[in-house]
Amino acid sequence: MSENTFMGVAREKIPWAPVIDYEKCDFCMECDEFCPHRVFERRDGDVKLVVANPNNCVVFCRACAKTCGPDAITFPDKPQTIKLIKDLRNAEGGTT
Amino acid sequence: MSYAVLACNGVDKAEGALAREVGLQVADATGGDVVCPVLLNRAPARYEKTLARDALIVVDGCGTRCASKLAAGVGVKPKQKVLVSGLVKASGEELEASLRLGPDEMALAKSIVADIVAALGASGTQAAPAVAWDAPTDFFVVVFDKFEFRIPKQGYRFSENDTWVRAMGNRARVGISDYLQQQLTDILYFDPPELGTLVEQFGELGEVESSKAIFEIIAPVSGAVVAVNEAVVEASPELVNADPYGEGWLVEVELSAWAEESELLLDGPAYRDTVGPKAAEY
Repeated sequence: MSENTFMGVAREKIPWAPVIDYEKCDFCMECDEFCPHRVFERRDGDVKLVVANPNNCVVFCRACAKTCGPDAITFPDKPQTIKLIKDLRNAEGGTT
Repeated sequence: MSYAVLACNGVDKAEGALAREVGLQVADATGGDVVCPVLLNRAPARYEKTLARDALIVVDGCGTRCASKLAAGVGVKPKQKVLVSGLVKASGEELEASLRLGPDEMALAKSIVADIVAALGASGTQAAPAVAWDAPTDFFVVVFDKFEFRIPKQGYRFSENDTWVRAMGNRARVGISDYLQQQLTDILYFDPPELGTLVEQFGELGEVESSKAIFEIIAPVSGAVVAVNEAVVEASPELVNADPYGEGWLVEVELSAWAEESELLLDGPAYRDTVGPKAAEY
């Protein structure tokens, strides 16, 4: 049982996290400097930043994308995510 | 009112080049002074008088928001601001990678300028509040480190994204929690949704901006936007810091599905229980 839930649903069941478009990313690290939840991690080599801890990302938060000059960060579709959360809530409600 | 325009200097990418053009045209249209971002950064004293006298219009090119950050750095709250990359996206246009503006870009610039100038002339013409919203008096206080976070005990519901809603009849006010305003630090700007906008629950109700971040206001409830807090938008964004549950409210909506939606929200005690762990993790 996960301790980390969002709206009553286990966080790892909710696919909400940034996706980096490496065609656009210039590794300026603004997003990583902004995010207090350690979603990103820096790496040596060509790909200098990865989404290492997607489940640390606050569901519905898109603040890192708004720091991104080259517009390289995207998030999942919000209405679809809301629907998924509601479905999961109903499914769990039905089993108790 | 006299204006000063601080725009992206526009030599890094196409959105910036467009922002620069928008800035120049806004200055022409308003008779305002142009503030050079590089010079402001290097020698802020050059613009001390201008910035003390004029209302500042900030035009950012991309999400790096250099112009906004420069304004924040010299402690100036913009009267109005736009983010050109967001407006380009919203327009459905795609910019060429070039820093030279073609006829399409010039047309887009013209329309952005027209919107900015129109918004400067608009005055708050919204219906008088239908409900008397008294301030909360009874709070839970969560203490963490040297911080104290207040949460109204009753009458407020919270989203897990730290926005609150207070419903009265079929109206509700929305704002951000004391915890969130302290995390964001000084609120410099509230970019409100348009009146009449229909928002879904957990959709977006504008953005607040601090020197630290831009934060999307996640709507705790669905409904139509019937009012925005003009005091916060026009003059005093710091009200959000000073009185987040009262005078610092952001948006008023006409509720559409309160009974169902309130079940997805936290009451005062439940929200209180989330604040301590959040602060600890932060």
